[in-house]
Amino acid sequence: MQEFQNLYEDLFELEDPMDKYEFIMEYGSQAESVKEFDFQDFELVPGCTSRLWLRYNKTFICQADSSIVKGLGGMICDWYNQANDKQRQEFNIETLNNIGLAPILSMGRQNGVANLIKRIKYLEYWGNKNSPS
Amino acid sequence: MKDRFPFFAANPDTVYLDSAATSQTLDTVIQDTNDFLLNHKSNAHRSGHSMGAWVDEKYHSAKNKIGEWLNITHPDKRIAFNSGASQGLYDAVQLIKQRFTGHISVYVGVDAHHSLLLPLRDASTDIKYINVMKDGMLDLDAVNNAMRTDSATCKVLAVNAVSNVLGVVQDLDKIRDICKNNNAISILDACQSMGKIEHNYDGFDFVTWSWHKIYGPMGLGCLLLDEKWLWYSPVHPGGGSVSHVSLNKVTYLETANRFESGTQNLQAICTLPNLLDWLMDNQSQIINHDKEITAYANELFKNKLVKSHTGLISFTTDSGTVEDVVMMLDAYNICVRGGNLCAEPLVTGLTDKNNLIRVSWGAYTTKEEIDFVFEKIGEVSARISKFV
Repeated sequence: MQEFQNLYEDLFELEDPMDKYEFIMEYGSQAESVKEFDFQDFELVPGCTSRLWLRYNKTFICQADSSIVKGLGGMICDWYNQANDKQRQEFNIETLNNIGLAPILSMGRQNGVANLIKRIKYLEYWGNKNSPS
Repeated sequence: MKDRFPFFAANPDTVYLDSAATSQTLDTVIQDTNDFLLNHKSNAHRSGHSMGAWVDEKYHSAKNKIGEWLNITHPDKRIAFNSGASQGLYDAVQLIKQRFTGHISVYVGVDAHHSLLLPLRDASTDIKYINVMKDGMLDLDAVNNAMRTDSATCKVLAVNAVSNVLGVVQDLDKIRDICKNNNAISILDACQSMGKIEHNYDGFDFVTWSWHKIYGPMGLGCLLLDEKWLWYSPVHPGGGSVSHVSLNKVTYLETANRFESGTQNLQAICTLPNLLDWLMDNQSQIINHDKEITAYANELFKNKLVKSHTGLISFTTDSGTVEDVVMMLDAYNICVRGGNLCAEPLVTGLTDKNNLIRVSWGAYTTKEEIDFVFEKIGEVSARISKFV
């Protein structure tokens, strides 16, 4: 996870919010977990202002309309895919506060990210077939 | 006029361009709210004490001044306070349902705000959508033609006076005439027109608006109704709506108070007399300022949906999603609104991205602020376009 630690440190060090956004969008354009897939309605994460879809098949992949949301979703999914059990268990919205993401997320977006984390944990436990509609 | 709005002194770095959602608040409204809570908080109507009498006086003064502002006679019979335009629209539809039990035929602008559209859809399964033409005007000739051959028990024409997406002022005189000639009931959502355009709102069955969009307090709206609707029972019967209650009979008030059961939002109502004085004293200046900013924005935003007439301008982004743009503008302390703007049928019909950015202004907005948002939209769009 050192790679992620460096990533978050780089992000945290950027002072200009525009640079932070650009960093996040750039991440989204290259992230392993951001993939084109034929998403279903039930894969839409509720509570996001713009649309974000999440799928779990051993690893998490996501897709979004918004470039910023794509980047955020990609960061979270990539991190989760590589995290160990303990790290996964401890992961929550506070983790994002600690890496400096929170100030640039509107309250609506923070709710969306919180829902993404909740859905990740749900899918990991139950799998896609039992996804809530 | 900016100096009359304390928000801007408290937040000098904020560029507030979301006034169509809610305006910033006039200084007298803030002072009067404080004064009410500090010195006068008591209930109106039938209080024996002097504080209650003070609130009574403010309440009646507010209605009389609204009457003066809108040139409406008998304001006590024509104006009902409520929580906002959404309640006013809902109540209007409920009164129509109470009056007509048969087939209700509804003609509603496709640009209708959800607050107008949804109560109507609940009231009737016969909804006919009025198309918006290229210039943003509703196709009223088509409505007139359709109504002539419409045999429904009740015909309703419901429109926004000004669309909260397009900023286009509809032909209100024509709407009134169509209703008169076809014996149809008229509902006017005046949220985006009230205080922004000069117009006589008399002659409509129902006109609704919210005060928080006209530099006033949150949680207060008005329903202006034709006196004939006083024949019908309150949508929300309760204390304050009656003149007499016995074990077998209820007699409702013969004024619009019958539609205001319970304790009204008196701390908000008590701010209206001074707000209305300011609105009346500055009406020409407010309207002329709006015209100037509207013309300026029309010139600047080449990618606008239609030429705006008042208050706001909407456009799609060249790159990325609206949410990306709005979120990044927020980092510059610029407040604009993006999305379907509570008018999803119109927005999905007009854009392939299903959402828009709306810049909207008020009496305090400067041309420099319009320039600033225009410049920053260009900047953030350029950043986003690298990743789309």
